[in-house]
Amino acid sequence: MSDQSINQLDTTPVVLLIDDSQFVHRILDARLRSESISLIGEHDGKAGHERALKDEPSLILLDLDMPVMDGYETLRVLKDDPKTRDIPVIVLSGMDSSQDKVAVFDLGAVDFITKPFEITELRARVRSSLKLSALLKMLAQKAQIDGLSGLFNRVYFDDRLQEEYDRAVRHGHPLSISMIDLDHFKSVNDTYGHPAGDTVISGVAQIIQQQCRSIDIACRYGGEEFVMIMPETTPEQAKILCDRIRQSCEAVSWSQHPSRAVTLSCGVVGADNGEGLTCTPAAMLEMADRNLYEAKQSGRNRVKATDIGGTLIQIAKAG
Amino acid sequence: MTAPDPNAYSLDINDPEDAELIEYFLGELPGRVDAMNAAATNDDLDQLKTIAHQLKGSAPSFGFPAIGSAAAELEGNIRSLNDSVSDFEAIRGEVDSLVSLCQSYLFPKQ
Repeated sequence: MSDQSINQLDTTPVVLLIDDSQFVHRILDARLRSESISLIGEHDGKAGHERALKDEPSLILLDLDMPVMDGYETLRVLKDDPKTRDIPVIVLSGMDSSQDKVAVFDLGAVDFITKPFEITELRARVRSSLKLSALLKMLAQKAQIDGLSGLFNRVYFDDRLQEEYDRAVRHGHPLSISMIDLDHFKSVNDTYGHPAGDTVISGVAQIIQQQCRSIDIACRYGGEEFVMIMPETTPEQAKILCDRIRQSCEAVSWSQHPSRAVTLSCGVVGADNGEGLTCTPAAMLEMADRNLYEAKQSGRNRVKATDIGGTLIQIAKAG
Repeated sequence: MTAPDPNAYSLDINDPEDAELIEYFLGELPGRVDAMNAAATNDDLDQLKTIAHQLKGSAPSFGFPAIGSAAAELEGNIRSLNDSVSDFEAIRGEVDSLVSLCQSYLFPKQ
């Protein structure tokens, strides 16, 4: 689960201010300096939307009364764009009729602050929105994480595979995936009990995570099965990476059953560039599964890798 | 809604953060005064409304609640303006008093 986005909770939250008045930028710059946030600013709705796409702020403070594209329109644009939809927006405005407030809440704002600012209130509202957004982000991530292994779960895998596939096709980049299955795992459970089996699952997950690079996406597919998406990775590179995972796993001495090593088999499939991605992501997964099956058939504790055309990938041994 | 107490946001010149804001605002004010005078001369109500709106929302936060209130009144009157000449003259009068108010901060009497 070495995906970078998972670490965002630990960093200083970025707050984006969209207001046409330089006065407001100066006030907030001074008054929010003591908060542990990083404040960035834009002076109109269009630039604000672009900045939100680029810097992915944790919170947007949005003025309603702006020339050209007003706050209502900006809010609509932000909420219509899947990439900015989930960023909470606090509306700042000198207009403070109930009608205005209802309108912005209907458009998806989380809060409303009236100008002129009462500074203590402003800080409290910013803090509370940031807290809420951090919790929501954490919940969303939890819903994507497998509880036992700490890796991403299958639902997340399905979404990301499609995304990474589309990206590779669009940019003509390599992409590989692998399917990993523990060998004779049932006998670990049967012989040493399910807690020992759980230890193996989370231990192997840890090995996978250690060997993965930051761009790889490792997921628990179910039971004793894992899947990995390796963007920017040719099937040959993927085979090398998966073989490292295989070797690390084999080398572990398990405290609950020191004499019983755990091995894994792995099926890899991929393409050297986007043009090689001639099948659907689902068909790609089936191929990885077929390669895994063949790795099992030919003796287990091995990695079988092919390209999407079915050509076997062999790693030239150095020396 | 009840109007906020105009003194509630007044700033403390001895506090460095407050002083920074007061200084910034006083630095910006001559530009706004010139712009208001120009807009009043050209009967540019849109421009007057924009400046009044910005001063209304920000002046109290910089420690100038009286400017904020005067600007709020001006903005409100521009918004509810109908085309009669006497109304227009009244607006001009309000602009003049807002300008004098601003200048009283810029050039305080000794």
